[in-house]
Amino acid sequence: MDFLLHGFFQAFHLLWTGDPETYSAIWTTVLVSTMSMAASLLIGIPLGFSLGINDFKGKKILRTLVDTLLSFPTVVIGLLVYAFLSRQGPLGDFGILFTLPGVAVGQTILGLPIIIALTATAVETLDKRLKPTLTTLGATPRQMLFTTILEARHSLMLAAMAAYGRIVSEVGISMMVGGNIKWHTRTITTAIALETGKGEFSVGIALGIVLMVVALGVNMCVSGLRKRAR
Amino acid sequence: MEEALKKLLYAIAALTLMLGTPAYAAKTMILATTTSTANTGLLDELIVPQFAKDTGIEIKFIAVGTGKALKMAENCDVDAVLVHAPAAEQKYVDAGVLIDRTQLMYNDFVIIGPASDPARIKGKKVVEAMKTIAAAKSVFTSRGDNSGTNKKEISLWNVSGMAVPDKEQWYVQTGQNMISTINIAAEKGGYTMTDRGTYIKYEANHKGNAPLKILVEGEKVLFNQYSALAVNPEKCPSVKYDLATRFIKWMASPKTQEAIGKFKLLGKVLFTPNATQ
Amino acid sequence: MNTSLCEVRNVHHTYGSRTVLDIDSFYIKPGSITGITGPNGCGKSTLLRMLAFLEKPDRGVVLFNGAEHDIRPNPVHREVCLLGQEPYLLKRSVRANVGYGLNVRNTDDIEPRIREALHMVGLDADDFLRRMWHELSGGETQRVALAARLVLRPKLLLLDEPTANLDEKSSTTIRTAVEQIRKTDGTSLVIVSHDLRWLRSICSPLIIMERGEMVETA
Repeated sequence: MDFLLHGFFQAFHLLWTGDPETYSAIWTTVLVSTMSMAASLLIGIPLGFSLGINDFKGKKILRTLVDTLLSFPTVVIGLLVYAFLSRQGPLGDFGILFTLPGVAVGQTILGLPIIIALTATAVETLDKRLKPTLTTLGATPRQMLFTTILEARHSLMLAAMAAYGRIVSEVGISMMVGGNIKWHTRTITTAIALETGKGEFSVGIALGIVLMVVALGVNMCVSGLRKRAR
Repeated sequence: MEEALKKLLYAIAALTLMLGTPAYAAKTMILATTTSTANTGLLDELIVPQFAKDTGIEIKFIAVGTGKALKMAENCDVDAVLVHAPAAEQKYVDAGVLIDRTQLMYNDFVIIGPASDPARIKGKKVVEAMKTIAAAKSVFTSRGDNSGTNKKEISLWNVSGMAVPDKEQWYVQTGQNMISTINIAAEKGGYTMTDRGTYIKYEANHKGNAPLKILVEGEKVLFNQYSALAVNPEKCPSVKYDLATRFIKWMASPKTQEAIGKFKLLGKVLFTPNATQ
Repeated sequence: MNTSLCEVRNVHHTYGSRTVLDIDSFYIKPGSITGITGPNGCGKSTLLRMLAFLEKPDRGVVLFNGAEHDIRPNPVHREVCLLGQEPYLLKRSVRANVGYGLNVRNTDDIEPRIREALHMVGLDADDFLRRMWHELSGGETQRVALAARLVLRPKLLLLDEPTANLDEKSSTTIRTAVEQIRKTDGTSLVIVSHDLRWLRSICSPLIIMERGEMVETA
């Protein structure tokens, strides 16, 4: 039990003394989660948008499929991505297995269903008067797309935070696709898995707290953005 | 507002492209090894830094179970492997997947159990000890995960003339790594087989007063032979065979062999170098 | 040669089994003020939406400048503008709301025009420009929405109950503003209202609708 308390103090010690392995893991985590978030948003918001705004045959089925993907286990995603990125796999020649871009591919697959589903819902629950208002004010379809995204920004930011939470806390994909290589693809979460596997429970707790500190920092930035977007 | 959003989008896209293009400068090779090897610290503290110093090549190693390490080699995802499962290695050599197998060093396994030793195996020979544990139906924890350690443990049952006691109540297959398996044995007051390196760490975690002690050790059958193998470039054209070869030769070189023999884990020597030139 | 700005021909529209519009012929002359009144559900709002090319009739045609137009965003929407009942404001400041239409048209130097539009609807620019959409009363919301359309000086302005939620003072201000833009810009107007006195005083023609049909024209 005292590894909990020990871990608590160790967290601050690691951060304060600038422990290189810890900061390397922090930097790696920030790097790969940023890539994954950016890709998830850039791909997911337009997709979620068209899913929400259009009515077509099979819309319900597609929506159910997306919602089901929300429960996709990270280890399975990791396994699938590994199979594709392996040299034996179809995308092997890109050589991104055991690299951060490879992990980002997997994490994007993790984040996309969240962004798509929540964006579709956000668009569906937009005021029905928005579209005719924008039309009568003379907006072009492209302008309407941008404005609609902005009208839904509060829900979209929530979607982004949900996706971020899932991405930054996952281990299965980083481990399988990244390989937990020291200084290169060792994230905070894979480092935690490694340390607890070695029996170093207090270091595991310490790194867990470090991750929470990083997440707190991100949330504070988003909170600032939220204020400006009001 | 729309202008701000457009600017934000361009910034995000630019950022993603920048971060997504990896900048590889130095010479690097990828090595697959086992978790127990990595956990000894030999790679992090000795091999990787020294090899980089001597050759300028960076080793990126991935620590997984033996089965997975060999599979990754077969998939051409790594350049070389450093494992300790001679039987499995031979299969891959026979299949032409791995080549240039080179013995490097060995450490050993030990059988540990409670200090009270209810089954009375202390000081016995391995074969006798295993038979005694089975007869006494004492709790015995196994990794049960097809790792090199697990394969070794299975071979001990076989060499003692028994089948793996798979369905026995007292035989606990944890499916986890060595430390967890030891902890479970300690909780249940049972026995297990572990590599010496993990035991040294386990002992240190308990400040020298661990619930489980070494009861059987020293026999040749408990030796754990490490070898390095290169992935066959004929099967995997993309592997860096030249770097893998340099690595293996360097590991077998007298200077490195000496350093390996001197390597200490928490103050205790772990490996015996045995590369035959 | 027909000089009408808008023309409605043989329009028939239903919602389910209910006939909502049944108009043989109706046209709007440029520079005119057309008033439309009638009981609730008589089809006035639907007619305005069709004139604004936001909805298409089941049968018949609606023409603007002699041509049919798509209800999807297209250039006609830069000439015809609708202020619906219970108008919607974007989730941004009053300034951004009033300026939105000007911005999509890439107009320069919009600040003075925004201020002028707010003045026309009786709102103090210095006070209201930086207010957010959620910081307005119902009447203020309506006036901001109207300002957002007045500022565009469209060829045809369609107003659905523009003074409905307003007190007497604000109503007067709106009525003045509406009449003003016709004078200064030649904007054609179609006004739907229950304020018969106002409609009678300025509209020509004044149309009474009942159950989708135009039953009387004054």
